[in-house]
Amino acid sequence: MKMNNWMRRQSMLGYLFIGPNMLGVLLFFVIPALYSFYLMFTDYKFMNPEVSFVGLDNIKRLFQDELFYLSLKNTVIFLLSVPVSIGLAFLVAVVLNGAVYMKKLLRALFFMPYITSGVAIAFVWMLLFQPQQGPINGFLRAIGFSNPPGWLSTTETSMLAIDIIWIWFMLGYNMIIYLAALQEISSELLEAARMDGAKRWQIIRSIVWPLVSPTTFLLLITGLIMTIKTFGIIQAITQGGPGNSTTILSLFVYQNAFRYYDMGYAATISWALFALILVITMIQWWGQKRWVHY
Amino acid sequence: MKTTTIAKASLQPPSREPARKPDTAVVKKGLFQSAATLVMLFFGILMVVPFLWMISTSFKTPAEVFQYPIKWIPADLRWDHHIKVWTGDNSFVHYYLNSLKVSIISTAGATFLSAFAAYGFARIYFKGRNALFMIYLSMMMVPPQVLFVPKFLMFDWAGIYNTHLALILPGLFTIFGVFMMRQFFLSVPYEISESAFIDGAGHFRIFFQLVLPLAKPALATLAIIDFSWHWNDYENALVFLIDDSLYTVPLGLQNFILENTVDYNGMMAAATAGIIPMIIVFLLGQRFIVQGISNTAVKG
Repeated sequence: MKMNNWMRRQSMLGYLFIGPNMLGVLLFFVIPALYSFYLMFTDYKFMNPEVSFVGLDNIKRLFQDELFYLSLKNTVIFLLSVPVSIGLAFLVAVVLNGAVYMKKLLRALFFMPYITSGVAIAFVWMLLFQPQQGPINGFLRAIGFSNPPGWLSTTETSMLAIDIIWIWFMLGYNMIIYLAALQEISSELLEAARMDGAKRWQIIRSIVWPLVSPTTFLLLITGLIMTIKTFGIIQAITQGGPGNSTTILSLFVYQNAFRYYDMGYAATISWALFALILVITMIQWWGQKRWVHY
Repeated sequence: MKTTTIAKASLQPPSREPARKPDTAVVKKGLFQSAATLVMLFFGILMVVPFLWMISTSFKTPAEVFQYPIKWIPADLRWDHHIKVWTGDNSFVHYYLNSLKVSIISTAGATFLSAFAAYGFARIYFKGRNALFMIYLSMMMVPPQVLFVPKFLMFDWAGIYNTHLALILPGLFTIFGVFMMRQFFLSVPYEISESAFIDGAGHFRIFFQLVLPLAKPALATLAIIDFSWHWNDYENALVFLIDDSLYTVPLGLQNFILENTVDYNGMMAAATAGIIPMIIVFLLGQRFIVQGISNTAVKG
């Protein structure tokens, strides 16, 4: 009886502590998510007060929408930046973890873009990539490319330019996490390998890289999810153009919702986005068990 | 010319000879280390070139913007672009005040509410705790795009659309913060609470007087990360604000750029204004940020 009372008191206290936050999560996450799920089956348009239930029409429309496939393709191209950034970050981290001077300064230089950059830096890149006179093409011309790419101004190269910005942005974050992981590798192990005559490159490839595989896997998953959710920098500098060539799924949701006020359809696309994240998360659950050695 | 050769000749022999004799391996290692440092320094500076170019351009004349080779330090520093950004009808002073208001209130609230909830999740046993935490974690999977439309409709209905409350109220709640603080509270030894219980303290006293003071570094980390999110938050402001007078810095910046499409110097002065606070936060809080990011990622 006494124990029961204690348990009840503990539960009350627990809810008291979590309560305020839970209320917010309910109001700003759970309820909107359920509401959005409902909207998926309606033809709700913000300008039109009449709402009717349309069943699976939105989903059918999605699968027939060419722009959906284009934005899906652009999203995949955008996501390619994630492994590239991770690979580069690994190389940087290995060097910074080893024998270099000025470690702190170097770490700060590589890490700075991640912390300081919002939309502001996107506008800087917009000018750097300026095709006729921008400094990047100025440099390319100076080293002998008479016909440098149009970057953000042509449909073929616009996603590439966005990828470069994103690789630059994510590099520091990935590097910091690799540096933490590299600290965990025992120096005796590396010393032993060196004694056995292993070359620097061999040690990195066959000892360090496999040992940090859990980190690589984690960075891949979190990086993919984070990238899928982003659209700010693209909206800021290209608004999805030229000719929808940088319209990624998350931006496609935004455009349908707040340019065309087609709320039902926008909700539908946003759940496609969720499905993509769900697939990646499921790969994580599955992969954590078999792929990663702790 | 002559003096330098003499100086070199007189300096070289004594500095080289003793170094070579004791250990060539040490010299070799030092050389390798210097070379590696130089290479990394080159790439590291390349990483911050966009920032350097931005600041440099903000002080140039329009004619100098796209000059190649790049003139890093302009012939004479032009302050007029910065003055244009900070004065007039759409002054950045205004955007700064809006951003500070939204970011500070959100960050303070979110940091406290996260710690409060995280204590409940980490240090009180109660029915349904784990199920609740799973719901929290699953909400992290829901992309913000799913929530934009319903939040827009709900805020419009509640009359807070196009007010700062539309940014502040949701900003008070961060699932990442709860997750991060919970990780920290789990690492605090439980014996601390036990001895306090014996002395007759309850959970509230333990939280405020024992655990919270211990959590200062973690709280600082969360506050810095959260502040930088709110300061840089362009997407929510874009969706929930329409009046210029309410604009936060990212929207103000966009507004400036739309109104001055050919004034590249002005654009870069505006971008500088947007980034400077983050550079200060970065310089002051780098240690905390690095710690926080590596902790949540490696243990999580």
